[in-house]
Amino acid sequence: MTEQQPSSAPEVMTGDVRRPLIVTAIALIWTLGAVAAAGLLLFRRPEEADAVTTLPATTVAAAVVVVGLGLLVGWGLWTLKNWTRTAMIGILGLVGLYYGTLVVFDTFAQIFGGEHIVPLLEILKNSGLALLRVLATGAVPLALIYGLTRTESHFRETTRERDVTNRSVWYVLIAAALSAIIIVLLIILFTSKEAWQAITGVGILEMIFGTIWRPGSIIGVEGAQYGMLPMIVGALLSTFGAMVLGLPLSLGAAILLTEVAPAWVRELFQPAIELLAGIPSVVYGLFGMVILAPLIRKIPVQANSGFGLLNASIILAIMILPTVTNIARDAIRTVPKAYKEGSLALGTTHWQTIRQVILPAARSGIVAAVILGIGRALGETMALIMVIGNSIAMPRSLNDNPLTLFLGTARTLTGNIAVEINYATGAHRSALFFSGVLLFFMILAVNSLARYLTRERLAS
Amino acid sequence: MSGKELSTPIAEVMMEDLTVRRDSGNLARCKLGQVVAFGVFWLAGLLAVAALLWIVGYVLVEGFQVIDIEFLTTRPRGGVSGEGGMSTTIVTTLYLVIFTMFLATPIGVGAAIYLTEYAVDAARRSKVLARLIQIARTGVEILAGVPSIIYGLFGFALFVVAMKNFTGGFSILSASLAGACMVLPIIIRTSEEALLAVPCSYREGSLALGATKWQTITQVVLPAALPGIVTGLILSVGRIVAETAIFWVTIGGSYRLPTGVKSAGRPMALHVYMLATETRAFEKAMGTAAILILTIVILNLFINLSSRYYSKQVMGRTQ
Repeated sequence: MTEQQPSSAPEVMTGDVRRPLIVTAIALIWTLGAVAAAGLLLFRRPEEADAVTTLPATTVAAAVVVVGLGLLVGWGLWTLKNWTRTAMIGILGLVGLYYGTLVVFDTFAQIFGGEHIVPLLEILKNSGLALLRVLATGAVPLALIYGLTRTESHFRETTRERDVTNRSVWYVLIAAALSAIIIVLLIILFTSKEAWQAITGVGILEMIFGTIWRPGSIIGVEGAQYGMLPMIVGALLSTFGAMVLGLPLSLGAAILLTEVAPAWVRELFQPAIELLAGIPSVVYGLFGMVILAPLIRKIPVQANSGFGLLNASIILAIMILPTVTNIARDAIRTVPKAYKEGSLALGTTHWQTIRQVILPAARSGIVAAVILGIGRALGETMALIMVIGNSIAMPRSLNDNPLTLFLGTARTLTGNIAVEINYATGAHRSALFFSGVLLFFMILAVNSLARYLTRERLAS
Repeated sequence: MSGKELSTPIAEVMMEDLTVRRDSGNLARCKLGQVVAFGVFWLAGLLAVAALLWIVGYVLVEGFQVIDIEFLTTRPRGGVSGEGGMSTTIVTTLYLVIFTMFLATPIGVGAAIYLTEYAVDAARRSKVLARLIQIARTGVEILAGVPSIIYGLFGFALFVVAMKNFTGGFSILSASLAGACMVLPIIIRTSEEALLAVPCSYREGSLALGATKWQTITQVVLPAALPGIVTGLILSVGRIVAETAIFWVTIGGSYRLPTGVKSAGRPMALHVYMLATETRAFEKAMGTAAILILTIVILNLFINLSSRYYSKQVMGRTQ
């Protein structure tokens, strides 16, 4: 017990500090290295002879900084300051990371760079060489890091240092916390800035209510028209279709998972719905192209290609299912048990309780789920491009039956951006950015509404 | 809304119940209604699962007919024929995941630490800070709802065009920066939940021993919350692997192997899209999609395992 006495008062800096040999060595190597580097900067023989007489001020400054840093860190190590140790490990780690990245890129380029992967023997050889390369050039830094981590207990951290760390970390963390809102502001700033040309040149109302999309990048600037109404209608129609098909499915599944199904079914369904949420949208798109399109093409209507709003609605209905089901499920789950028990005790059937007590109590949460589903459907891009047909004309029914509207092709706002942004220039590109701004604020409004509803529910 | 609005349906049920006594046929009708309604719910649930099985099953079965060593080890040949394999797209996806997570993880976890450990105190200390924290939280919520094509547009305008000298235009770096913006809210939210689940007694115990707040966070709170944070990170990895729209407008789509962070590439999901829309090589697209689904399934397994382990730990702790 008596041996632990000194370490219980770490703030007291005593004169007889036991400095491990390795730390002494590192401090010396570091300081000498810095001095050597500064010397190299100052007395390196330049190519031109006349430059010898006048050293540029920047070189001198750099040399001074290098020597200063070297001495500072060397002194910090010599006196066993903890901040020096942390800083050195951090800097060496970053340098090592940068270097390691380069090695990985090089090695992978050797292995995967060609037409085929190189044979297994080559792979082993290349990885071995890369490892050797890392070890050879990284030996000194690695030894430094190792030495510093092993001697941790010898370093002292004064109370003042600890307080400074404790306080300064606050600023770093609040900066991280504000990063999200900064990104949101940057998104608004940059998309609006890019959209400004179209807003002033074409006009907001012209773009929102114009029915003809004839971008200048294709047919020349003269007759260019940037009406987005067909895309807005396409987005709204596909979202509507997705809601009609998807809501009964997803809300039904939510009620099933919370109230009806036994526990083991829940255990099976839950991972399935999570997987549904994780599947890439291109896979849904591919499925729509390869399976749904030929099926829909069988509907005997003139000019029915299989690609169009119906296909898009089906795909979207499956894609929004996890979102809507999960949120609706949470809403139903948070209804107090007492409501259900009270109702059942009155002699109602389970279904009557669900319909007249549980669902009304969870109403705002369920509405929020539906609204978030709408937001998700409005923002979906790649899967829709693959199945909706992408015609820039206003969606219209294929014959007298108004329902064939859904067999017709269309294009959504999101799809329009993704299809054309890579080659658009000038006013065309600007108009695409405007549709991005439009989409952003549409979805912002939808999500805010959903948030307001959930908050109201939590408050009550 | 609870008391006032709810009393009505319950009262209605009571009235209905009273009428049941008088008319015994009503009870049978109620029971029948329940059977029909529950049947509909079962149908909805089974349809959802059937859709999942159909999609996953079809893509896996079709995909694995083209997947062989040759397909996995050859790079795409480019052009409209869609010949070749997918080797470089796997490596590019790996690069993207690593760089995006490297950029997003410190910021996301840092933000979560601030919002759980410091925000309440800070908000109590000053009105301005309280306001700022409120704004920061709103920012996270807004960011979580932004559709990916908007991140793509933003990344295109800022990273690809405006910062061309730094990022090299269409490149892994541009794509990772845009992707980091997308996963940031996911990491913040999941880390926040994980940190909140750490019992207060842990913090109090550490502080009582004389540790500073920062020491408490790094040495007590973060290790305890680690499994939950890792779950969120795996979730983010899944999102990056699955993402197409952002990378379609930021990474360039070159089928060659990227030679550095500033060179263009093509991740797996983008490869599926480009094969399906620009070539007729649907079977190759299916093969790539099958690998993609397999990756997501494995990631989901990891999430399930880690969250199960985590909830067991939390449960054990609170008891």
